[in-house]
Amino acid sequence: MNVENVIKGVVCPFCGCCCDDLEVTVRNNEIAKVENACALGRAKFERWNEGRIVRPSIRSDGKILETSFAKAVERSARILYDARYPLLWGWSCTSCEAQKIGVELAEEVGGVIDSTTSTCHGPSIIAVHDVGESSTTLGEVRHRADLVIYWGCNPLHAHPRHMSRYSVLSEGRFRKRRGERKMIVVDVRRTATAKIADEFIKIEPNSDYEALTALRMCLKGEELEQESIAGVPSKKFEELIDEMVGCQFGVIFFGLGLTMSAGKSRNVDAALSLVRDLNSKTKFVIVPMRGHFNVTGANEVFAWQTGYPFAVDLSQGYPRYNPGETSGVDIATRHDCDAALVVGSDPISNFPLEAARNLSSIPIICIDPHETATTSVSDTVIPSAIVGIEAEGTVYRMDGVPLLLRKLIDPPEGVSKDTEILEAILNEVRRIRGGR
Amino acid sequence: MELLIKNGYVVDPANGIDCEKLDIAVRGGKIVEEVSSSAKILDASNMLVMPGGVDIHSHIAGSKTNLARVLRPEDHFRDFERRTALTRSGVGHSVPSTYTTGYRYARMGYTTVIEPATPPLKARHTHDELNDTPIIDKACFPLFGNNWHVMEYLKNGDLELCAAYLSWMLRATKGYAIKIVNPGGVEAWHWGGNVVGLDSEVPHFGITPREIVRGLCKVNKMLKLPHAIHVHPNNLGKPGNYLTTIKTMECVKDLAEGASIHITHCQFTSFKGEDWSTLRSGAQEIARYVNRNDHVTIDMGQIIFTATTTMTGDGPFEYILHQISGRKWVNKDVEAETGAGVVPVVYKRRSFVNATQWAIGLELALLIEDPWKVYLTTDHPNGGPFTAYPRVVSWLMSKRARERTMSRMNQSAARKTILQSLEREYSFEEIAIVTRAGTAKALGLKAKGHLGVGADADISIYRINPKEIDPSRDYRAVRKALRRAAYTVKDGQIVVKDGEIKEVVQGRTFWIDSRVPKDLEEKIHRELSKSFREYYTVGMENYFIGEGELARSSPIYVGEAKV
Amino acid sequence: MTSILLRPRKLFKVPIEASAISPDNFAAARKVEEIKNQVVWEGNRPATLASIFDVEELEQGGELLEIIIEGDASKLRGVGKGMGSGTITVEGNAGIRLGEAMRGGTITVNGNVGSWLGSRMRGGRIEVSGDAGDYVGSAIRGSTRGMSGGQIVVRGSAGNEVGCWMRDGMIRIGGNVGQFAGVHMLGGTIVIEGSSRGRIGASMKGGRIVVLGEVGRVLPSFSIEEIRNVARVGEDRIPGPFYVFAGDLADDGDGRLYVSKDRNLELRFYESYIE
Repeated sequence: MNVENVIKGVVCPFCGCCCDDLEVTVRNNEIAKVENACALGRAKFERWNEGRIVRPSIRSDGKILETSFAKAVERSARILYDARYPLLWGWSCTSCEAQKIGVELAEEVGGVIDSTTSTCHGPSIIAVHDVGESSTTLGEVRHRADLVIYWGCNPLHAHPRHMSRYSVLSEGRFRKRRGERKMIVVDVRRTATAKIADEFIKIEPNSDYEALTALRMCLKGEELEQESIAGVPSKKFEELIDEMVGCQFGVIFFGLGLTMSAGKSRNVDAALSLVRDLNSKTKFVIVPMRGHFNVTGANEVFAWQTGYPFAVDLSQGYPRYNPGETSGVDIATRHDCDAALVVGSDPISNFPLEAARNLSSIPIICIDPHETATTSVSDTVIPSAIVGIEAEGTVYRMDGVPLLLRKLIDPPEGVSKDTEILEAILNEVRRIRGGR
Repeated sequence: MELLIKNGYVVDPANGIDCEKLDIAVRGGKIVEEVSSSAKILDASNMLVMPGGVDIHSHIAGSKTNLARVLRPEDHFRDFERRTALTRSGVGHSVPSTYTTGYRYARMGYTTVIEPATPPLKARHTHDELNDTPIIDKACFPLFGNNWHVMEYLKNGDLELCAAYLSWMLRATKGYAIKIVNPGGVEAWHWGGNVVGLDSEVPHFGITPREIVRGLCKVNKMLKLPHAIHVHPNNLGKPGNYLTTIKTMECVKDLAEGASIHITHCQFTSFKGEDWSTLRSGAQEIARYVNRNDHVTIDMGQIIFTATTTMTGDGPFEYILHQISGRKWVNKDVEAETGAGVVPVVYKRRSFVNATQWAIGLELALLIEDPWKVYLTTDHPNGGPFTAYPRVVSWLMSKRARERTMSRMNQSAARKTILQSLEREYSFEEIAIVTRAGTAKALGLKAKGHLGVGADADISIYRINPKEIDPSRDYRAVRKALRRAAYTVKDGQIVVKDGEIKEVVQGRTFWIDSRVPKDLEEKIHRELSKSFREYYTVGMENYFIGEGELARSSPIYVGEAKV
Repeated sequence: MTSILLRPRKLFKVPIEASAISPDNFAAARKVEEIKNQVVWEGNRPATLASIFDVEELEQGGELLEIIIEGDASKLRGVGKGMGSGTITVEGNAGIRLGEAMRGGTITVNGNVGSWLGSRMRGGRIEVSGDAGDYVGSAIRGSTRGMSGGQIVVRGSAGNEVGCWMRDGMIRIGGNVGQFAGVHMLGGTIVIEGSSRGRIGASMKGGRIVVLGEVGRVLPSFSIEEIRNVARVGEDRIPGPFYVFAGDLADDGDGRLYVSKDRNLELRFYESYIE
């Protein structure tokens, strides 16, 4: 018997857009069809069952042995309990409910909890500490923006529905047609997004700071003494500022082009300062293009529970924060940590070489639905249900709007939710501590 | 579990009890007539017993609170709490983390706190944080004063539909009351502008702030909501704004049966003068109005001389504050609804403006004759952290305490305030009214703010003897005692002893389960289903917060709306 | 002069929060036994000094207290935090946040140091023979109060954001620096004897930065003022000639960059702008 169900208003668990209008057809506990998703979201739904881990495993004598949930939990708890400086890493691809247990677990074992923010928009948050941020939820951009600048990001590839749902290709109350908006792309190469922009400004690699400073100078009416800055004729900056000042509602969307090129948080500092300064002339906002679908949620949960948005060190019994010192990549690079819990992330692939190498030399507990480079070197692997497909949970969109992910189908037999796994490890750690 | 609190000096203004030695009996989390002999005895001899504190306005949870936490790691560095066997770790000062917030309120004997400015699209975030705020009961006020649907319905004279919309919204956001912040001004701010008074026109919407406030006041009555509209008027923070405040209070006077409007953090909207150098207190005028009119209540918004953080839904005001002070600034507009801004601030004794502000808050409380109309707040953290409430109490109870602070502040401001001449000193009964009985009554929380039979057993016991102490002289002792409750009882459980957390419980989240007649309900549903995605970037079904999302949901059904 | 020697008993793996290692702290103790019982954090566990160091009292008596750490101290954090007097000498590499919030006294390192050297320093002197990390003399995250007094001398090179949010005092780097030296600077002086990788003085509002080597790019928000033959830094007269830039104009700043004319020939075009 084919039982088919079409579920509407499904929130996509892929990127920071968190599109909430997907329609998923479920048949016999499988994803049969998905509509309204972009290629990335579609792939996540359609290939949800590929490369799945279905049984927990433990590494013993260099061999990987399947084991029971209870034994894997016991081993994980023991590793974390014994550790003197464990790193609890990942969190961007799971629910807020799981993130909360993560914080509790980090506090219980006296470790550091950090999310992939550290490798992505950490510099943006660091810049906010100094400057602040003039921002908005995405609907305001859709309704009002007549000037949209994508700086150092490529939404056509990384956030495919961003433009049609939230910016230049969308319909807003005050901007009905494409022609009512101008789209500018600033990047170091002509990306796919740049190709469809009204204007593309190519800047030299690693000179975003100079370009933003030039704009700030023009805004102040100061003369630019150099003829070209960042590989762009100075006159161009004057023109661009005129456009920015002349618009009714401008927005800068920015990505890793700013956060990960030379200057990092200071690049973002300059962008935030520019937008702040523009507000003395017109309405202007800035929005970071968050990558993973719940990295924003991790920032929110950590911040309200500990006061700090990422890189939270709970080793001394209270929250401490100093990215660069307490951030996951740096901790791994310096080989500070002696154990790691990785949730829904693949640091062995994503970390710089030295950090990855150091990580692979300590016991890792990895909780993930799929096989990854990290699971392949982990001491203990516990398979988990895919949040947004096989498990429900709260997520926060890139602009801080909270949404609920649904459970559409059951996970494979024997596979638990992140929250159940983490809760079990937490309880086991408490049991070990109580027994001493 | 039975509890008998014996021999305490009870102050329960709602039931006409003023420092009488009485026993309070508790069973099943409620106050009862009597208990059996197996009840646990709590000896409150020589101590002051009051209902648990009810804070009517404190920004403790949600999107802008979290934006402030992220903006200000430097605020948390020196003020932190370690984890203990019972309590979670956290950070404090002006933007504490959620666990720390709950513990600190409980330690002061507060048991109910209202989060007063929730953007509906992000109400889920507010509830997420409230769920993680231990011990205290709470509720939140969703923002409506710049809401597109509201402005359109009111402009078109569709009062019934507006009521149906509000009713749906209160259920969708699990909210408790109608909050209005700078009506119309925040929509103007979404274009970078503002409004300048009740009769400005909101760009593109063809409606005035006056019409928004009156319309929502009518809707409030139709829905029979337990609290009046809770209003942060236009022109907050602008010299001369006391006139706007009076006009705002006046504009709903004809709609009154009982209270029809609550003006919040009134200090910030009681400014006389043309500019900062000619700033004066407008408290006398405001107080005169409040004294003569029974349809108004206010809360103080008292400032403390300290470093703190401003955060409000008044986006344009926060931008102005940033421009004046040069301090870092966060702004977050919320589509089709509202906005928020955050700017750190330092209130300095030697600043003429800050000293005048300090005086205004106290003048309001001392000039308004009926303590049932004025409540103690600092608009946490805008005026100062809630942990400073005991200090405010000492200023209200002791002229000497006021003089001492005045002697150390800007003398030009000190000379210009009438505070010198105000002899009034609050009694314990009056303090109980402005921190518990009055606020609970204004909120319509019938089981809070009093110690009569049937009330929730939320009780605070302080280590001072109201019969022996002279608060006017020994205000420091009063402050000390109020900072760390001898006992805080929550729903009949002893959660705090000598200022230490003894038990952690999950507080309730109150919300209004508002209903309108069925045909109206269906009509609004049809309308919203059609237009929702035009207004918002999320769907109606995803906007709605389910009851299960609240850790301890406590709906209040107020009957079907009168439309 | 009382002198205490600390020798690590093992190779430290996890970070050690060692702000207890400070002359004021040790001076308050009467006997060396008390010092041995001082508590540090070894990762997530408290540990006594004696459990991780061999603690020896070299000299007794006298008021001034000297601490010598012999060995690899690169995992020690916050050594000398808030100290007001006395000296600390590290024979080896030192770790993160060495001398943070220092008020007086001297710290000497014969080796390299980690990031946040002398963060929020108010007085005293730090000398490092080797290299330093990022954020020398900086503020804590979100604060605008960086170093406000004292002297930091690094004979080797330093990383990024030297003197971030600095208010007063002196930082001298013998070698090169990374990017953003003097970012958000409000006052004080930074002398860079080597070269910078660019963007010096970004967002500065006051203070002076002197670069004797190659400056990398000068930001477009700096305007040339004049050429000076000498840069006066305290008692020193550092011979130039220097291009003197004013900025950061994007932040209405009034700081000064002194950039070696001879080492920065590509800046010659600025001369046409000198009025």
